[in-house]
Amino acid sequence: MAAGVAAWLPFARAAAIGWMPVASTPMPIPPQDKRKAQDGLIILNVSGTKFQTWRNTLERYPDTLLGSTERDFFFHEETNEYFFDRDPDIFRHILNFYRTGKLHYPRQECISAYDEELAFFGIIPEIIGDCCYEEYKDRRRENAERLQDDEEMDMNNDVTPVNLTFREYLWRAFENPHTSTLALVFYYVTGFFIAISVMANVVETVPCGTLPNRSKEISCGDRYALAFFCLDTACVMIFTVEYLLRLIAAPSRYKFMKSVMSVIDVVAIMPYYIGLVMTDNDQVSGAFVTLRVFRVFRIFKFSRHSAGLRILGYTLKSCASELGFLLFSLTMAIIIFATVMFYAEKGSTASKFTSIPAAFWYTIVTMTTLGYGDMVPKTIVGKVFGSICSLSGVLVIALPVPVIVSNFSRIYHQSQRAEKRRAQRKTRLARIRAAKIRGTNAYMRYKQNGLLIDSLEEASKEAGQALVGKAASPPFESQHHHLLHCLEKTTNHEFVDEQTFQANCMEISVMNKSGSRASSLSSSPHGLSSCCSRRHRKKSSFSLPSTNNQELSTIQIRERPVVNSRSSLNAKLDETVPLKCDEPYITPSMVSLSAPVVTSSDGDSSTTTTAYSQSNIVRVSAL
Amino acid sequence: MSVMGATTLVQTELFQQLLDSDEGELSTVCYRPEGLDRLVQQTKFSKKELQVLYRGFKNECPSGVVNEETFKNIYSQFFPQGDSSMYAHFLFEAFDTHNNGSVSFEDFVISLSIILRGSITDKLNWAFNLYDLNKDGCITREEMTDIMHSIYDMMGKYTYPSMKDSAPMDHVDSFFQKMDKNNDGVVTIEEFLETCQKDENIMQSMHMFDNVI
Repeated sequence: MAAGVAAWLPFARAAAIGWMPVASTPMPIPPQDKRKAQDGLIILNVSGTKFQTWRNTLERYPDTLLGSTERDFFFHEETNEYFFDRDPDIFRHILNFYRTGKLHYPRQECISAYDEELAFFGIIPEIIGDCCYEEYKDRRRENAERLQDDEEMDMNNDVTPVNLTFREYLWRAFENPHTSTLALVFYYVTGFFIAISVMANVVETVPCGTLPNRSKEISCGDRYALAFFCLDTACVMIFTVEYLLRLIAAPSRYKFMKSVMSVIDVVAIMPYYIGLVMTDNDQVSGAFVTLRVFRVFRIFKFSRHSAGLRILGYTLKSCASELGFLLFSLTMAIIIFATVMFYAEKGSTASKFTSIPAAFWYTIVTMTTLGYGDMVPKTIVGKVFGSICSLSGVLVIALPVPVIVSNFSRIYHQSQRAEKRRAQRKTRLARIRAAKIRGTNAYMRYKQNGLLIDSLEEASKEAGQALVGKAASPPFESQHHHLLHCLEKTTNHEFVDEQTFQANCMEISVMNKSGSRASSLSSSPHGLSSCCSRRHRKKSSFSLPSTNNQELSTIQIRERPVVNSRSSLNAKLDETVPLKCDEPYITPSMVSLSAPVVTSSDGDSSTTTTAYSQSNIVRVSAL
Repeated sequence: MSVMGATTLVQTELFQQLLDSDEGELSTVCYRPEGLDRLVQQTKFSKKELQVLYRGFKNECPSGVVNEETFKNIYSQFFPQGDSSMYAHFLFEAFDTHNNGSVSFEDFVISLSIILRGSITDKLNWAFNLYDLNKDGCITREEMTDIMHSIYDMMGKYTYPSMKDSAPMDHVDSFFQKMDKNNDGVVTIEEFLETCQKDENIMQSMHMFDNVI
């Protein structure tokens, strides 16, 4: 029931008087209206913009923030109003919801900002009115896709984690040729061989001149049979090897075998093997020849190499219903017109329209405006219907085509957007990295200042002079830095910046090499050679609460079971503790201004430092 | 309520001259009720109550008048299970004292005042007026049947016990048995008033909605 109609409830109750005289039984007792609450005005001050409304308006929805006692938390006594430090533009829509009972979504607002406001005021987005619901859902979906894309990009970073098993490494190389040079080479080689194979199939059938003792022209395939056979063998071997490798590397072999690409692969190489198995048996060689047709499927292997082809395939799949409709309507029209033409031309002599199925060919050729001319109507009636047929053909085919085209265009644009986002990602990452470095430097400066001040303080205490502490940074930052400093003191570790860390890493690696210790710290086979290369691996256990933090912390912690590292560290307590170069714990950035990051970096540092709590001061990786 | 508050048609002539050909009827007409004080005099509502009533009224009917469609629409929102259109139609006829197809705020509030704040006789008179569809002073069997059907329609299909088709008719029969003293097939206002005033249940239920506003 719309909130506005609630105002008419007294009328509806009054109208019930019409039932009273006809009722034969007594009526139930009406509910006592206990709270004859005075309907007063409430002032809502949202970031300076004052909204006023009746108390009853707000209390129509008691399970939202404004309608319940939760709003008392925001009551500002000095001004006798409710103060909310939120966006007044979006609040306007929220207040309108109370007034009219319908929630609208303003098109110019950002979807995440809007969602946040709704969540804050305790309003479920599902009640958005029909007028705005579609738009809201679309925007939300786009946003979700964007976030998902970013997550996927994080997964497919350009630096390979070393600790992948060989199988996973192989799969990765197949799926993303850009990950390593070897993969890229393989990618191009297979592409080349696909092209060669397809061209060989084509050239095979070209007539190549006559043999001296034959009058008939012979095709190239027969003339140079051996050469072509060798070429075919080579291609098929490459394809087979590729298929087997993919099969081995696939994480889910069953799923892989079901996928379209793998079916194409199999179909492409099967004819060859079947040909090998079948010897020159004349009876089956006819069937064998038809099998060779399937070799043309090798051209579909190109879809791994071309995104456009994949988009086309995807479009066709998504337009299946339109295509189906096209086919159905064409079939209907063909049958109708073929029947008509057959009966129209039945009378004429030497008519080519010998049967209705024979007339199908004429109908198809005419409807698609091909008009070969091998079958033409001769009677006047036939010609009339023939012209109607061709006119209708144009219509029937023209109708579903724009739908397919628009689908293709939409999907293509989507992929374009994804590409653009990927390109922009690089600059975005660079910006984030710059911000991180700024944060680190600020912290370093703070520490230097702090030490300076400490020493000065001591000096001044001795000298008995008061010191004016210079706080160059704003109070929020200085408190933040102080917090980090406390953490350092607690854990006996210090934060350093990237260069220092890498420098230390190098030193330690040199020392270790000379020290000839069994590197029990390197549990990964690659050891120190890959020292200090940043490892990225997304750990869902460390997913940060808000998505924008996730954006920032692109270089994420790789969580090692703490036991492992601690035990391996314990073994090394007595020597200069080397850096765990192969497992750098890189904490997410300390972007200085956003408050949530404080907690996250705290958390990170603690996970870092718990592993090292028993060691001496070890320089861990940078902020 | 002999004094029919004259609704001032604010600039209706001008509006109609300007917008006659293009717009639909509703947009040319914009009723504004007479002053609040006058309404307070005419009805038994206080100023605050009239304010609350007007705000709700204006929210649903910004043009200032209710037409039958809107009336039915509003009423149906309170009875989603059944079909309340017939009863709303009868109500509309009862509210529309000027018989001009629309209910202005004055009409609305005056009728409400009778129902909620009037004397028992006034209320019963109003109810009789509601039942007397052709306003000829007596309720025939057909009229009563229509009313009964409309009330039962509001119940909808899903009732317990399930609705028999003869239920309204039976109810009409019992009504006439009770009210029609001289058995002439119609119920006059005197018969109606007499019977109702003797019936305790009806008397009690008439007072039930006194505190609605």
